Amino acid sequence: MKYIYRLVYIVMPAAIAMAFLYAPPAEGLGESSRLLYFHVPLAWVSVLAFSISGVLSVLFLFTGNGERRELVHAAHNSAAIGLLFTVLATFSGSVWSKLSWGAYWNWDPRQTSIIVLMLVYIAYFSLESALRENPSRQRIVSAYLVFAMVTVPFFVFVVPRIFPSLHPDPVINADRQVHLESAMKISLMTAIAAFTLLYGYILNLANRVSAINEQKKGDLR
Amino acid sequence: MVKTIIAHIKKDFRIEFRNRYAVSVSFSFAFTTTLAISLAAGGIPFSPQTHAVILWVIMFFTAMSGLAHIFVREEDRGTSLFLRLNSPALAVFTAKLLYNVLLFFVLQCMILPVYLFFMQLDVQSPLFFLGYVFLGGIALSSSLTILAAIVARAGARGALFPVISLPVSLPVLWVVIQGTSRSLGRAGFSSPGDMVFLLAFSGTITAVSYLLFEFVWHD
Repeated sequence: MKYIYRLVYIVMPAAIAMAFLYAPPAEGLGESSRLLYFHVPLAWVSVLAFSISGVLSVLFLFTGNGERRELVHAAHNSAAIGLLFTVLATFSGSVWSKLSWGAYWNWDPRQTSIIVLMLVYIAYFSLESALRENPSRQRIVSAYLVFAMVTVPFFVFVVPRIFPSLHPDPVINADRQVHLESAMKISLMTAIAAFTLLYGYILNLANRVSAINEQKKGDLR
Repeated sequence: MVKTIIAHIKKDFRIEFRNRYAVSVSFSFAFTTTLAISLAAGGIPFSPQTHAVILWVIMFFTAMSGLAHIFVREEDRGTSLFLRLNSPALAVFTAKLLYNVLLFFVLQCMILPVYLFFMQLDVQSPLFFLGYVFLGGIALSSSLTILAAIVARAGARGALFPVISLPVSLPVLWVVIQGTSRSLGRAGFSSPGDMVFLLAFSGTITAVSYLLFEFVWHD
């Protein structure tokens, strides 16, 4: 399973080539529309990483009597990668916002959702630091991640639907259809697959580093 | 179980009544902030949207200064270990949750008249205004209770509580500011969506808090 992430070596260059060479520019937006193939996958991975952190925390809390410490490390690593992708999604989104709407930031509901997701990640790492001396740290931070995960659907799906937004809904919308030309749709799906593989690849690496660190700590004891 | 919960609530209110820490600190904060804004504004009328934002910023930081105290007090006095050994976690959490909801309701009842008086606020739809304020209060206090339990176990509590609470409370603040703004202006009550959102949020958060409290509470 872990070798499947090595497909990123092939899929990522293909996704980049398709974004610049295969996909046509969107009508009205011009060449700036190519940001779609980077911004949407980054935002997707931000939410995916957070959800996986939450699911791993649920597994840690409710299975194995809190003994499966590798799950906490994996949740931490996923959150760290998610934070990085959230920063990149926010940055790419603000550049696109400047090109499309004339301002880097205008508190559109979707912009607000991604910044709140970033705040949740920052809060998680702050809490982890504040609990460094506490022996129950892993259980408490896992509980916070699960709690925060429950609030994410309210941001990502509910709030932008209550308040009007300038943001387009190319992937998730009321019709449950992707409103894009077929070449754009294929490029977008390839980019999403590439970024998902990249996330899995980095997470796998980070988990291996965590396992080595744990082993070192065990040897020192 | 019910008797234990009632006993806990009585104990918490008795302690609060003796030293009045949470009520006096939180109300003093809300009072001075309202006075400072009113003084700085110098009679300049604000739009309903601005009033809603100011009111809920005051409410949020009032909650920050008062609602964590219920668990922090137990940790500081060393009584949390006694509670862990003698009461089921479910009873402790239910008592603390009800206490926080009631405490924040009392604080809101004290803050609202002060705000309405000093900011010379004319509410167009009083019933919906109170509905949004109190439903928002329930949603805030129910989401902050489990976070108060988490913060009580950590260091640097004063700074940490707003950091971990803000992202989780933002959906409530966002919806309730819009609703309060509409009830203050001429738009009044447009759809039940906001209130359903607040109720759904409170219910979901309370259910998840019950599931997680055991992991936060016990060592």
